[in-house]
Amino acid sequence: MEEKNIDVEVAEPRVYEVGYLLSNAIEEAEVPVEYGNLKDFVASFGGVIISDEMPKKIDLAYTIEKVIKNIKHKFDSAYFGWIKFEMTPEKVLELKKKLDLDIKIVRFIIIKTVRENTLAVKKFVRSDIKRHTPKLRAEGEEAPEINKEEIDKEIDAMVEV
Amino acid sequence: MKQDYFSSNNIKFIDYKDIEILKKFINPNGKIMNHKRTGVTSKNQRSLEEAIKRARFMGLLPFVAR
Repeated sequence: MEEKNIDVEVAEPRVYEVGYLLSNAIEEAEVPVEYGNLKDFVASFGGVIISDEMPKKIDLAYTIEKVIKNIKHKFDSAYFGWIKFEMTPEKVLELKKKLDLDIKIVRFIIIKTVRENTLAVKKFVRSDIKRHTPKLRAEGEEAPEINKEEIDKEIDAMVEV
Repeated sequence: MKQDYFSSNNIKFIDYKDIEILKKFINPNGKIMNHKRTGVTSKNQRSLEEAIKRARFMGLLPFVAR
């Protein structure tokens, strides 16, 4: 009876992220194709893609060596990209096994992450921003009347943009 | 850096891809700084450590520099 319960229990999908380095042997124009292929590949395992980034060429911090078909290759630069997706834990193991066989990928990492955007937004620190201080009205001067409908329209227009 | 950088900047998940932030916490030799020096809370120091190690593996940060 207990075994049945285990079968019924389906593992819930959770959020993962795969970061990968594509070989620099791939030409620049071919990169978007590879990127599309990888996304389709993840989707074929039932993954729901949350966010991703196009592979960009980066200079690696150290030389990565990889043996492909019994030949040792050295990489000083590679295309780094990532895909964040939702998938069940069992499927992720399968995905890992398949990615291990891909010769175009120099290295990859699968991590557990959160759905929210984790890249911190760069802050623009400016010292020359002037604080807006409302001017004091002279006595007797009345505030101009505000037409509610017009403001509503303006806001709608802004929201549409 | 006396205060925790991550809680003061409202960073909840330390991402290994954010190398600009991670670089602040490695010394010129590429070693991870002591928590006493960084002022980061123990919990965040642990996830910072994980993030730096992931970044090293992916070739974004060096294992050793110089």
